[in-house]
Amino acid sequence: MKSAELYPKEYLAGRGVTKKSTHRGDRMEPLKRFGGLKDYVDVLYYCIKCGQCRSTYQEKGRMRVCPSGELRAFEAYYLGGKNLLLWGLARGEVQWSDRLTHLLYHCTLCGNCAQQCQVPEIHYYALDWLEAAREEAVKRGVGPMPQQERYGKHTLEEYDPYMEPHRDRWSWLRKEAREELPEKADVVYFVGCTASYRQKSIAAATFSVLKKLEVDFTVLWRNGFDEWCCGSPLQRTGQVDRAFKLAQHNVEAIKKAGASLVVTSCAGCYRMIKEDYKERYGLDYGFEALHITSFLAARVKKEELKNEVRKRVTYHDPCHLGRHMGVYEEPRKLLRAIPGLELVEMRRIKENAWCCGAGGVVMSAFPDLARYASDKRIEEAISVGAELISSACPFCWRNLQEATERSWSSLKTLDVIELLWEAMK
Amino acid sequence: MVVKPLNRHERILRELQAIVGVQHVSDWPEVLFLYSWDFISAEKPGTCEFVVMPSSVEEVQGIVRLANRERIPVIPWVSGICTAGLCIPREGGIVVDLRRMNRVLEVNEDDLYALVEGGVTWAGLVGYLEEHHPDLMVGVPWAPSGTGVVPYLITTGFGDLGMISGTGGDSINGLEVVLPTGEIVKCGSCMTSQYWIGRWPLPDISGLFVGWQGTTGIVTKAAIKLYPKMPVRYYLLMAETVEKGYPIIQRLAERSWTLGIADIWFNNYPFTKAHTGSRRLKLDEVPLDPDERVKSGIPDFSAGIVVFAPSDELLNVHEKAISRAAIDAGAQLVPYDEVMSSMPVDERAELPLASNKPIHVAPAWLSTPRGGGGIISWVGTFLSHREVPKFYRMGVGVFKKYDKHDLFYGRIMMHGHHVYARHIMVCNKDDPQDLETMRKAFFELDDEIRKNIKSAARYHLSPWASRANLSYVHGPTLVLLKKIKNLLDPNGLMNPGHLLDTL
Ligand code: SF4
Ligand code: SF4
Repeated sequence: MKSAELYPKEYLAGRGVTKKSTHRGDRMEPLKRFGGLKDYVDVLYYCIKCGQCRSTYQEKGRMRVCPSGELRAFEAYYLGGKNLLLWGLARGEVQWSDRLTHLLYHCTLCGNCAQQCQVPEIHYYALDWLEAAREEAVKRGVGPMPQQERYGKHTLEEYDPYMEPHRDRWSWLRKEAREELPEKADVVYFVGCTASYRQKSIAAATFSVLKKLEVDFTVLWRNGFDEWCCGSPLQRTGQVDRAFKLAQHNVEAIKKAGASLVVTSCAGCYRMIKEDYKERYGLDYGFEALHITSFLAARVKKEELKNEVRKRVTYHDPCHLGRHMGVYEEPRKLLRAIPGLELVEMRRIKENAWCCGAGGVVMSAFPDLARYASDKRIEEAISVGAELISSACPFCWRNLQEATERSWSSLKTLDVIELLWEAMK
Repeated sequence: MVVKPLNRHERILRELQAIVGVQHVSDWPEVLFLYSWDFISAEKPGTCEFVVMPSSVEEVQGIVRLANRERIPVIPWVSGICTAGLCIPREGGIVVDLRRMNRVLEVNEDDLYALVEGGVTWAGLVGYLEEHHPDLMVGVPWAPSGTGVVPYLITTGFGDLGMISGTGGDSINGLEVVLPTGEIVKCGSCMTSQYWIGRWPLPDISGLFVGWQGTTGIVTKAAIKLYPKMPVRYYLLMAETVEKGYPIIQRLAERSWTLGIADIWFNNYPFTKAHTGSRRLKLDEVPLDPDERVKSGIPDFSAGIVVFAPSDELLNVHEKAISRAAIDAGAQLVPYDEVMSSMPVDERAELPLASNKPIHVAPAWLSTPRGGGGIISWVGTFLSHREVPKFYRMGVGVFKKYDKHDLFYGRIMMHGHHVYARHIMVCNKDDPQDLETMRKAFFELDDEIRKNIKSAARYHLSPWASRANLSYVHGPTLVLLKKIKNLLDPNGLMNPGHLLDTL
């Protein structure tokens, strides 16, 4: 019997981590999700520093998974090291310090390590305590990293982490087109900061696709119920109070638009609205949240995709969309539906996907880590003969695009929705 | 401007940075904390001053020479999880973490060996073979994938091709070592040629580094034997008791070379518990006493038998012969797949798929619901086949006194020429009392073995066990061992606190 038959792969509901055969459902006490560090002190020491969290184990080749550890190599940069440092902290053998903050923040929160770890408690909850540690660092005044503090402050003033003025948020959309949109609609397209200020082509393509499909949608540009940063860069860096304020505002704004559904371009916004707003912050809202790829995968018909896109395309799973939220198939479904497009997979995909390096908001604090991770991903895309690397997140796009340029290759970067628009327009 | 002179620590730090690069040295207390102990054994933590990650043999030489000049200890390190705390820095010093020396340098398909750097892990070697030489395999111990290949070789670990290749030490084709004084030496055919085809015909000096617990040098390269992959079948043999089951596998081991048997390992109840109706029992519901276990329907002996042959026809013939031997002796032989597929999916990974892979599930065995909490260690010995059942009962008796479950594990190697067995205990590293219980139980069992198991050649790498072991060593031989150590490490800097240092 093959190993795949003995260990059938099944994902946890709503998440992209596998339900392990080490699940031990009846024997593991469920832990609190989104808890504080104290909620996890009694499991941190289950870690044996075995190193399984450094490589995949099911796939041939035992591929490396942790950008942070691969770059710096010391144990403290891998999950095992972080677990035991936090345990040492709980026992008073390790103290809070700037160095500890550096170690805790030097991590993209991609979750690939936890996917590989076979200790069920670590497998299911490690990301929760990695975030809880950052929250604790902020509470004690040793976190976040200075750059992250700067943009955190700005985000509360101008509602974006890019140090841009709020008034420029809608510069990607002509005033007339914006004003044509209804005040109230069934669907809110939540654009997110990166697509609004940086990868505007993604916002424009999404807007065009929604228009073309005659979706009853709007965007939140009107004063009083305008879109703010979703809060993800703040939440992921432990600035939870600040993130919560943004979340409250956005929920109110979406409610005011009367939407039953909010769709996002950004994987980070999607996770934030769908999971953190509701389950972490307990915000009560009466709408559903979907990533744009899930929304369109269920809606786009083959006949609407009339233009050929003759390209060999590989797909990069954004961590926030894939491992964190379980969306693996929909972006691929859209890509496969595009006539002429050949989808080639990289070796580390889905639950084993190597992070692009943009996660955990490391781009500002540890640009070398962000560069290292994206360069590795681009090497992988080139190695499978892709002409184009696509993703479903403007944040990934940005980091991958920069790496593509550094690679001096002919590889191009495009979002799945940009490709879809190519096929539809 | 007045330049403040550097103190000793700062001076060594700068020099280490000059050797390996600034980013590959650390003296941060947080980083050092993770090198202070192994987080898997009950050994007490130590401390170190620096951790350094070289990427070449020249860098290793530089570190060792600096250490000699400064008279600072050097601790060779790969993954740092040794169930006996072998990599704990016991007298401070520089931990030399070899993880950047992690390349597979060569796979020689004709002469069947892989040449690896000193820091290669099982994930690294097995992954490389899977990708580039899928028709070859290597004997892999039951260890997590992040552990090192070279430590397995030089501490004579037990791999899953043990019936063919013996211990880790027997699997070595050659070594390159940086001596404690900084010179490079080579062991085996690589002394005289580019090929690492074996340890002969010149004097086999690999013995200066195998079994020495990292106290005689830092191994920077090693050649390990490989084998062609062939069709394989796995079986689980179950018997009521160790007394009934062990003689069957002993006989099978003697005939293993005609039956294509590449591996025989044995356990007490974990596998049988899994295979019987008691699979849902929590560990603390399983009786501590073997006879009680049998009474409650859990057979107390199981053995894994791995059979290779070039064809299915031949595998069928072997299967018949092995089944017959089992049935005649009143045991049960079940294809391993059958054991696995009879279990609920969410429990299958509690049993490893025995197929030349590092054990990814290892940490899951140790977490609290299994009575653990991240600590696993054992008391074990090479011994005569004759004394295995007695050794088993002895361990169970001692562990029972401390209210601890005894996981019995062993391997027969080299067609029955040697057998090794151990009593494994798991405990909670967050509970000082539990750790103390483990230590006490181990000392007691160790003492009992010395007194009552005549054939025992003890095998445990922690200092307390070494001290006791060495007191049994033949006098003139001990003198020779000390002379060798002094010759190789005149300043006593290499992994101090272990082996001869314990005397
Ligand atoms: S986190 Fe899990 S896989 Fe990583 S070292 Fe700890 S126990 Fe091993
Ligand atoms: S979350 Fe990602 S970057 Fe962070 S430790 Fe885990 S694998 Fe490494």
